[in-house]
Amino acid sequence: MKKKLLVTLATVALGATTFVTFAQEEYPYQNQIEARQALMNVYRFNLGLLGAMAKGEMPYDAGMASDAANNLFAASSMRNGAMWPAGSDMSAPGLADMTAAKPEIWSNMSDVGEKSRALRAAAEAMSAAAGDGLDALRSNMGAVGDGCKGCHESFRASD
Amino acid sequence: MKRTLVSGLGLAFICACVFFVLSIPDPLQADALPTHSANLENGELIFWAGGCASCHAAPGATEDDLLRLSGGVELATPFGVFKSPNISPDPNAGIGDWTTLDFVNAMVKGLSPDMDHYYPAFPYPHYQNITYADLIDLKAYLDTLPLSSNEVADHELDFPYSFRRGVSLWKWRYLDRNRSQPVKDATAQLERGRYLVTGPGHCGACHTPRDAYGGEQVERFLAGAESFEVAPDSAGEGGGRIPNITPHKDGIGDWSESDIAYSLESGFDPDFDSFGGSMVEVQENMARLPAADRAAIAAYLKSIPPQPSDLP
Repeated sequence: MKKKLLVTLATVALGATTFVTFAQEEYPYQNQIEARQALMNVYRFNLGLLGAMAKGEMPYDAGMASDAANNLFAASSMRNGAMWPAGSDMSAPGLADMTAAKPEIWSNMSDVGEKSRALRAAAEAMSAAAGDGLDALRSNMGAVGDGCKGCHESFRASD
Repeated sequence: MKRTLVSGLGLAFICACVFFVLSIPDPLQADALPTHSANLENGELIFWAGGCASCHAAPGATEDDLLRLSGGVELATPFGVFKSPNISPDPNAGIGDWTTLDFVNAMVKGLSPDMDHYYPAFPYPHYQNITYADLIDLKAYLDTLPLSSNEVADHELDFPYSFRRGVSLWKWRYLDRNRSQPVKDATAQLERGRYLVTGPGHCGACHTPRDAYGGEQVERFLAGAESFEVAPDSAGEGGGRIPNITPHKDGIGDWSESDIAYSLESGFDPDFDSFGGSMVEVQENMARLPAADRAAIAAYLKSIPPQPSDLP
């Protein structure tokens, strides 16, 4: 009887601990994962404006192109290491559907750094060129795309 | 008791005979090939459409290094680790001493010049859909590429998959189902798209789900799949989910034809997220094709049966 009570108490205590740990988060690293995905959305949004002009779906507007490219450069210049705590990858328990970040990120940090610098350089070139006409914008899209793909090829799972 | 033993032995003998007959290679003979003078430019197009460099160039190769087909890329699967061979024109380490017929037999029959069965990690179930003329062009193009003396180690496969002759059973079960037929009354563009997707492009090798023996579930053509690749260093964690690319709401039903063609050209999806994982190499190969071929692929992908990602 006493043993049964102890087991019950232990179970309740364990449940409470779990509750406390995840009270603010529905899954581990939710804050960090949402922050970095929001940053990716900032890239995506600004690239979408540049891309729509490049594809001819939106009339070229030098001011808007320049703003979007500057935003891209600003986003790529952010120090965002705190958004990427080790272990916040798709192989962690409960994260398979929350992030496509591969664990290889943390075993290849120098490569990650090199690739993010390449993206920043491409974004900087785009920010200098985007206001100079549609051809200048178009000729920089490929390098920015390479910047995105550089990390996504090695460090994001297919999807 | 004695009778059981005798009939057991008899059954085993019959099975062995059936297996022996099934595993006899059935190569093409020289008269199967058309008279065709090779077109190097078209050979190069088939080379990029087929993504040969993605498996046969050194890992991480770019630019000119993509043309040095030294092999050695590892593909970790539930059956073990496959290692891509050297297919540079080096006569010793590569395939420089192959005849055109040897090459065509490898591509459409999955047979080596010594009549060994290739494992279907080499996507001959798709390449069997390439025309002989295109294969002759491709062989001629490969012959112009730089030599590599790189010797690639053997596959590291688990038993019974290490038993190469057993691949014949796999072929008997699965090879025909990947054969693609021209669609009656299709436009030239749709026909070209079908050819590129089901032949050299071998899109289904990743995007069609496979069964436990690695055969494609062709009735779920391009419906998306768990990656068949196993990352060796992360405890069974795979390469993620390969997207559904049928015109279904779970797939790319809301992409226009020009969205698909642009994504293959630029690497950006319609939301301006970039492609990732192994699709990056595929896209960069597709970007080298003529724009009309990317448009044909896009038109064909919009024409195939829509499939939900998960069956109810």
